[in-house]
Amino acid sequence: MIKQTLLAVSLVATATLAQAHDEAALKAAPPGDPYVQVSDVLPLPAFIPGLGTLFVNPDTLPAGPFLAYDHDGKLSASIYMTPLEELENRTAYDGLGIGSHAVSSVDVYYNAGHPGVEKPHAHVVLYHDAEAKGRLAE
Amino acid sequence: MSWTRRQVIRLGGGAIAALGSPLPVFAAGETVIEMRGTARGERIWFDPFALAVAPGTVLRFVNRDPGNSHTATAYHPENYDRLRRIPAKAAPWDSDFLLPGESFEVTLRVPGVYDYYCIPHEMAAMVGRIVVGTPADPGWEGPAEDREDVSAEVLAALPGVETILARGALRREERS
Repeated sequence: MIKQTLLAVSLVATATLAQAHDEAALKAAPPGDPYVQVSDVLPLPAFIPGLGTLFVNPDTLPAGPFLAYDHDGKLSASIYMTPLEELENRTAYDGLGIGSHAVSSVDVYYNAGHPGVEKPHAHVVLYHDAEAKGRLAE
Repeated sequence: MSWTRRQVIRLGGGAIAALGSPLPVFAAGETVIEMRGTARGERIWFDPFALAVAPGTVLRFVNRDPGNSHTATAYHPENYDRLRRIPAKAAPWDSDFLLPGESFEVTLRVPGVYDYYCIPHEMAAMVGRIVVGTPADPGWEGPAEDREDVSAEVLAALPGVETILARGALRREERS
C-alpha cells in the first residue's frame, strides 16, 4: 500500500515536472504541436488588438487555453472562451491547461462571438506579467 | 436623419401616397456600409444597419473592425440553405469573410426588401435591412414574412420598411 502511494506521488511529481517543461516550451511563439496559429485556420487577423497572436490546441476548443503572444513572440496571456449558453446548460470546463503559472492579473468580459467561437461567450484572460496587457493592446 | 453619400431627392406633389405620405426617391450611386465592433467585441454591428437606396445602387461593405472578421450574407437558399429574405428576382450575395480593411461590393437592382446577416455574428443579431426603391416601383417585393428561420432577436433588429423609407438610414445609436 505504501509502495502504491509512493508510486502515485512519484507519478504526480513526474507529471508536474513534465508540465514545467511544457511551460518552458510555450514561452515563445510558435509553441509547436499540438498548437496551431488561430489565424492560419480561421478567418481572423494574425494579431488581434487586445488578444495578440493566438495559438490553440484544436482538441481543447472552445475553451482553450488560447496562448496569446505579443509582437515579439513572448507569451503574454492564457485566454479561455466559454460559451454562455453552455455554462447555463451546466457545462463545466474543468482542469484546463495554462500557458504559464505566473499570473499577474485576470480580466473577464463578454464577447459577442467571432469565427471559431461564434456563440456569445466569456473571455477569461490570465495575463502573465504586469506589462502583458499593454503589449497585447495594439 | 443621416442620409448616405448620395443624397436623397424628395419628390413633392408627384410622389406616391402608398404609405400615407410622399415616398422618397433615392439617387443611385455608391453607398458604404461599415462592419464595426467594440474593442473587446462586446458589440458588433452594421453601420448603418438599415438603409434605403435607389435601384442600381452599388453597396460596398467595409470591415472597420480591427479585431474581428465579418461577412455580409443575404438570406437565401443558395447561402447555407437559409430561407429567402430578398426579392425573388434578386441575385443573392455572400461576401465571404472580410478581414479588417477588406471590402466587398454588390449592386442591388430589383426593388424590394433585402435582409442580410454576418455569418459568425448572426447569434448576436448582427443583421441589416436594405430597402431598394419604394413600394410604388414595378416588381416591388416587401419584407419576408417568415418568422421561423431567424431568431426573435434578429427579427427585432430589423426595422420596418416605413421607418427606413422615412429616415433613409438608421445607425446603431438610433437603435438603442
